Amino acid sequence: MKRYAPLAVVVVLAILACAAGPAAVSAQAKDTLTVALPSHAPTLDPHMHFERVGILVNINMFDSLLHRNTKLEFEPSLATSWKPLSDTQWEFKIRKGVRFHNGEIMTPADVKYSFDRVIDQTKKSPQYGNVRAIKEIKVVDGETIHLITDKPFPLLLERLVFFPIVNKKHVEAVGDQAFGTSSPVGTGPWKFVEWKRDQLIRLEAFDQHWRGKPAFKNLIFRAIPEVATQVAEIKTGGVDLIRNVSADIQPELKTHPVAYISSTPILRVHWIAFDMRSAPFDKKAARQAANYAIDKQTIIQRLMAGLGKQVATTVQPLAFGFDAEVKPYPFDQKKAKELLAQAGYPNGVDITLHSASVANRPEFEALGQMLTEVGLRATPRLWDPGPAWNKFSQGEGKGTHGVYGTWGNYSVFDADAVLHPLYHTEPGGWYGKWYARVEGLDKLIDEARSSVDQAKRKRLYSQIQQMIREEAPSAFLWTQYDTLGISKKVQYAARPDEWLWLFDAKPAAR
Amino acid sequence: MAIGTLAPPLDVPAGPAPVAERSRIWRKFVRNPAALAGALVLLTVIGAAIFAPYVAPHDPTRQSLIRRFTPPVWTQTGKAAHLLGTDQVGRDILSRMIHGARVSLIVGISAVVVSLIVGVTLGLLSGFLQGRVDTVIMTVVDVTLSFPQLLLALAFVAALGPSLVTIIIVLGLTGWERYTRVVRAEVLALREKDFVEAARAIGASPTRTLLRHLLPNTFSSIIVMSTLQVAQAILQEAALSFLGVGTGSAYPTWGQMIALGRDFVSVAWWLPTFPGLAILLTVLAINLVGDRLRDALDPRVI
Amino acid sequence: MLTLLVRRVARLVVVLVGVSLVTFAILQVSGDPVALMMPEAPESDRAVLREAMGFNDPLPVQFARFVGSIARGDFGQSFFHREPALPLVLDRMPTTLLLTVLAMGLSLVLAVPIGIVSAIRRNSAFDHTATLVVFLGTSMPVFWTGIMLILLFAVQFRLLPVSGWESWAALILPGLTLATFSTPLLLRIVRSSMLEVINLDYVRTARAKGVSEWFVICRHALTNAALPLVTVAGLQFGLLLGGAVITETVFAVPGVGRLIVGAIRQLDFPIVQAGVFLLALIIVLVNFAVDMLYVYLNPQIRVR
Repeated sequence: MKRYAPLAVVVVLAILACAAGPAAVSAQAKDTLTVALPSHAPTLDPHMHFERVGILVNINMFDSLLHRNTKLEFEPSLATSWKPLSDTQWEFKIRKGVRFHNGEIMTPADVKYSFDRVIDQTKKSPQYGNVRAIKEIKVVDGETIHLITDKPFPLLLERLVFFPIVNKKHVEAVGDQAFGTSSPVGTGPWKFVEWKRDQLIRLEAFDQHWRGKPAFKNLIFRAIPEVATQVAEIKTGGVDLIRNVSADIQPELKTHPVAYISSTPILRVHWIAFDMRSAPFDKKAARQAANYAIDKQTIIQRLMAGLGKQVATTVQPLAFGFDAEVKPYPFDQKKAKELLAQAGYPNGVDITLHSASVANRPEFEALGQMLTEVGLRATPRLWDPGPAWNKFSQGEGKGTHGVYGTWGNYSVFDADAVLHPLYHTEPGGWYGKWYARVEGLDKLIDEARSSVDQAKRKRLYSQIQQMIREEAPSAFLWTQYDTLGISKKVQYAARPDEWLWLFDAKPAAR
Repeated sequence: MAIGTLAPPLDVPAGPAPVAERSRIWRKFVRNPAALAGALVLLTVIGAAIFAPYVAPHDPTRQSLIRRFTPPVWTQTGKAAHLLGTDQVGRDILSRMIHGARVSLIVGISAVVVSLIVGVTLGLLSGFLQGRVDTVIMTVVDVTLSFPQLLLALAFVAALGPSLVTIIIVLGLTGWERYTRVVRAEVLALREKDFVEAARAIGASPTRTLLRHLLPNTFSSIIVMSTLQVAQAILQEAALSFLGVGTGSAYPTWGQMIALGRDFVSVAWWLPTFPGLAILLTVLAINLVGDRLRDALDPRVI
Repeated sequence: MLTLLVRRVARLVVVLVGVSLVTFAILQVSGDPVALMMPEAPESDRAVLREAMGFNDPLPVQFARFVGSIARGDFGQSFFHREPALPLVLDRMPTTLLLTVLAMGLSLVLAVPIGIVSAIRRNSAFDHTATLVVFLGTSMPVFWTGIMLILLFAVQFRLLPVSGWESWAALILPGLTLATFSTPLLLRIVRSSMLEVINLDYVRTARAKGVSEWFVICRHALTNAALPLVTVAGLQFGLLLGGAVITETVFAVPGVGRLIVGAIRQLDFPIVQAGVFLLALIIVLVNFAVDMLYVYLNPQIRVR
């Protein structure tokens, strides 16, 4: 009977041989750039989602009126120049001769149409809130439009950096649905080829792009949810660019023969929203105690490889309105204990902290321990991001006694984009509505967001930062860096707005 | 006959294992070195779980950011204080594994208890009452078997919020139908036996007679099945942790340790590897013991 | 035979109604769907939508309507994708089915020969080693097996792509990973069924008559082993289909499991309902087919 024994071995070997046979191991074409994203957005229609992973794809297919360079200055894109005509009216000159991927020439009518489809509430664009203030778009002549806002709107230019212009004729011909799934047409450096959901989005260089042809002929966005898989892919050349490389993986990629690391400070700020509706954080002394209890430097150095910057409030150093005069809470456990006693908890108190920032679990657990050490005995609970988002922020506000999270301002470099969602109570930001109860703060935020006098806004934001530093509606932690892992065959650098503007990517010189 | 009930309960040895046979079963069991080794591993794990606070060298939740990613003691930069190294926030891995044994076993065993309670009760009801009740219960079994259970568990844990109790209940409610089928089949088979009739004839309650014969008859198969289900539940908890809805607490389970350590596998291999080995050895041990138990309890294969 | 078929089909319908009941319940236990659909709207707006969508009707009425919509293939619009849910799910289904069938095939290819040899050479070193190796695979969390296979075959040996679904080579590792889950049980079935028949008189007789050993095994033994094998393979198919999501996630396979997990995260209930229902439907149909095959393979049942 012995002759059957080899049978199984043969079968196993056959499978392995099949495996070795194709060996289609990513000897990728030199003119292809492959980017790994954790997932795809629900649509390629740039107006009908508001997801980071979708924006990163859209910006390479569509242009907006303005562009932001790596120094964070506004640059002309589809608008060649712009100027305010009054507090509520702006004039934009539109670039001439720009072609859409379908060959049509872009006109001011396309610009007007693009705004109209977001402002039209029946279309339910998730970006409606960004441009709510725009009341009317007037086509003045063949190269001029006027934007009219219902009140002074200081964030207008910020909002126009991601506001893609679409082709009216095309969208109306194919319909909104098909436009988003099978036939997106823009003016950007790459044009659409195919989309296999949750697998890949394939783009091809657009020869007639007004900036010129991009360096890479093919651009592919793969959807790879697993971090370990992404890292394995970049090491074997299966993809050329991965995002959000954690501090602990970086040393390995830094010394790797096929990849390198590029980091830059970004807006994303970490904070704990204290639930000011209930004990113990209804007491200012308890909130301050928590701020004193956290050793931010140790976390930044030990957990984040130094790629972070401690902050005095949640207003980021990169944002307009940041006041460097307001200083961070120092690490002082003795002071923290005193303040906690003063708040009425000489023997400490048990608290629960919630978070949905799965990627920041080590930081979250370290925070829990640091608070525990001064008597704020914290139980950290980590939740699945989806349901938690509804539970803790906009939907229900059930994050007693605090929620640890991060906020990236949706890449708007202005203090308003962090202050309003975090602290405004009525009608209320995502978190502020539930957790923040600082008297007089709403009024100051409203005042600053309805003025276009930047000097006055700066003064107001300084005042706000002093105020929240003292009142401590949050534990103020740090801002982080964005870190990309990039294949050595590609030349590219991380941007402070976390964008992947791949027109700047070039094949590495050999 | 129900769709799901057509299939014979495969995990189940036929027939009883009377007392007289016990020594034979025991001899069959110990003759197998793999099963003995498995039993030893299991005893060690259970011992670690019970005496966790006394045998663990450190507090499993105690962090030290300075000592994070200390490698195991036998490597060049290892420290004697941390035999198996430390994790991403500097907690002692060995201590976490010892305490993790506790939670993992609690999850596994409690889930099985939930399954047993639901499954055996429904099986008895179904077998005894027959008729409409039987039809309804077996339909429920069929429906349960038709669902993608992991996804359903994920949906419920996500909706209810991650916690130990949620996980136990959800895992328990996705594994009970096997017991229902075994118990029901046994009840139905016994009803037809002569001695039940005889008992009725001499005035004994047939229900009581059935129960008295039922227990020893199904005992062995239920033991084997629940042993294997403990292993499954441990793996399922790991799967849920991987999908982001574990127990959600800082107190470890093995599954959670692997799920969280996997991102660091290329820089600190010891993070996921040791808890991975712990699951591997334990589940393997359970499988080997359960497997051998089945062989030993099964009179067909001698 | 015909009455049997009719009864089975009736049964199928009853089970499907039960399946839709549980699917319906997913939305009910998760709270107020209207609050999820319009989180920022004031309560008055929500009340209007609630009335319009019929959420104020008694539950049985809602359930009847739900079953009606399902029968028409209408699971509603995905909140997240803003497209009908069913086509989105159907679009991914072939990928998951292919992965599952591949894993099932690999399992059988491994389990049948190894099981036969193990049975013939019972308690030999081969038997013990085969059992151990196969059980090793099933004793690890599936995602861990997957990551290990990636590190070994894709990163270390560079034999296969790390992930994706673009080439045939890319299917091998995910197929193998999923197969580790189902192989051991199938192996056990083959081995023990073989043990049962191998000593039966007619097999011995056949052997004694000098018929080639292969022929004996294939003709008699394997036919008998087929019965339990088919049953277990059917049940395993359902488990693989639902468990594929882990493998899909590790290997970035664009399957329906990932779509459903994503939808659970987004609280996108139409997708969750459509996905879970469709998977359940497939499992029910596979079980039904197994039942029929079982009747075909085992003539005794036909008589009853």
